[in-house]
Amino acid sequence: MKSCIVPPNRATLNVTSLMLKVLPILLGILLSARVARAQQTADPADQDKQTIRVLLQRVEQLEARVTQLEAARQGVPAPAPTQVSQQATTPSEAETEAQAEQPSEPERMDLSKTLLRMRGFGDITLHGDNNKGDTTSFSLGQLNLFVTSDVSEKFKFLTEIVFEAGSDNAVGVDVERMLLQYSPNDYFNLAVGRYHTAIGYYNTAYHHSTWFQTTTGRPFLFDFEDKGGPLPVHNVGVSASGLIPSGRLGLHYVAEVGNGRASRSPASEPVQNLVDENNHKAFNLAFFARPESVRGLQAGFSVYRDVLAPANSPRIGETILAAHAVLVRPKFEWLNEALVIRHAPFGLSHAFETPGFYTQLSKQFGSYRPYFRYQYMNESDAEPVFPNIGLRHGPSVGLRYDASESVAVKLQYDYTQLRRQEAIHGLALQVGFTF
Amino acid sequence: MQFGPRVLVMFVAAVLLLKAAPGRSFGGAGYAQTTSGQSLAIIVNQSNPVENLSFTELRRIFLGERSHWPNGRRITLVIMPPGEPERDAILREVCRMNEKDYNNHFLHGLFTGEVFASPKTLSTPVGVRKFVFNVPGAIGYVRTADVDDSVKVLRIDGLLPSDKDYKVQMQARPAK
Repeated sequence: MKSCIVPPNRATLNVTSLMLKVLPILLGILLSARVARAQQTADPADQDKQTIRVLLQRVEQLEARVTQLEAARQGVPAPAPTQVSQQATTPSEAETEAQAEQPSEPERMDLSKTLLRMRGFGDITLHGDNNKGDTTSFSLGQLNLFVTSDVSEKFKFLTEIVFEAGSDNAVGVDVERMLLQYSPNDYFNLAVGRYHTAIGYYNTAYHHSTWFQTTTGRPFLFDFEDKGGPLPVHNVGVSASGLIPSGRLGLHYVAEVGNGRASRSPASEPVQNLVDENNHKAFNLAFFARPESVRGLQAGFSVYRDVLAPANSPRIGETILAAHAVLVRPKFEWLNEALVIRHAPFGLSHAFETPGFYTQLSKQFGSYRPYFRYQYMNESDAEPVFPNIGLRHGPSVGLRYDASESVAVKLQYDYTQLRRQEAIHGLALQVGFTF
Repeated sequence: MQFGPRVLVMFVAAVLLLKAAPGRSFGGAGYAQTTSGQSLAIIVNQSNPVENLSFTELRRIFLGERSHWPNGRRITLVIMPPGEPERDAILREVCRMNEKDYNNHFLHGLFTGEVFASPKTLSTPVGVRKFVFNVPGAIGYVRTADVDDSVKVLRIDGLLPSDKDYKVQMQARPAK
């Protein structure tokens, strides 16, 4: 008899395989019989349901048994993952070990995993000043969710999603940065999306995190557009950056092309996220050096050019020249930036120039970092784009206390002189944190 | 300015409260003295064409300021977890930072977009070696006693770990 020469295990396997084939047919017959009976009579189907349940359980048991027998016949309990998969995903020895313990299954997308990494920043401030109309208030700062994702070896995604309360106390959401970065080498990196314009140093060093900043806030030169800042801090377009082969000088470049700032109406959203109000694009070109000989030193300049088109007035050429020299070390910081914003209405011989600068000095003593900043900005009253800024200058002094690696408490006093107005004394207590 | 004294008092109270709260020190962990007199070998994948790095280039790589090898392959930095003597030595000798500053540096670099990828952390020298063996763009460090033929040891400023004046030492060099 043929079955006599078949090894017992194999015989069992054949029987179970046969059962596996037959059982679905039986199930089908049972189901069709049930349907037929249901059509003919109104009997409850409880008995059939119970039978089906029992049969399904039996099928599952047999499937498990078949898998077990197949593995036993091959003599390999669970093949280890391939070398390739280890190469691609081995971030830690523990994970490699975990992979080795997993049974061999066809490769498929694991939807339970995500490529996203998230970091958060936030701050809460108590502040007050003697400016008419201002009140002493607790203020929620920007709640910043910083998300990155390694899309592939050369592509990376980065975004800053900020939740922020406005002057009406309503909380809104802004995508402050959203960039897809392509990085084939150190000399050429390309990013598309919404970025912080590389004007000067501060704007691209601290973005929307007060925790990274020594002080409670940005210099007013670099205030965000929706806070009345004079610079096109954000832009939507393309940015290229990288190293310039320069040996120990450490030269870098940044070249940007974007929509620029909206200017048709003061009520417009300043960042042109979706539609540019004209065909002209804003250009920015920056160079800076990080020489090897002085650790932490960065010095550079940038040129920004755009054409603004306010409603009911001639177009205005906008040129922003900026220069900076900063020395940033873990225990010491000295930031110096100066810039000129030049607005030249077409058809007029006169141009309006707004100079501004700030210097900021701080030194760390243990967990304490006292700091000083002096800032200055002088905009003409006849300035066609920002008539309300005027002259602002004065010192700020403060103390930052790092309560832990992730929490900083800052106390800052600001004295700001204005043109033809009473000087403003302000005091702020802020807790900034990362999470 | 009636708000002034109140804000000042709240700041002082907050600082005192936070100082009084129990917590671990985070200031100087990176400067802990190591006990071994061994050198640290800088290891890369055998397929990596690079044979030698200047000390400045090594520092830039370990600070995430270089993200690609000359052949275009992305650099994957492998480090050991905080508290390991090898990591302390690298932070002290190469990065010249303590643990807190190093973490802040990488967090800030990722935030600005200048650092393309954060380092991988592996807990044992064997793990570091295996990772470097498997990942063509990887660079890591192990004690010379933990080196085997599966990885390539880089020269730093033309010197191997066995050479005199090799700079990446486990033990802090005496100040000159």
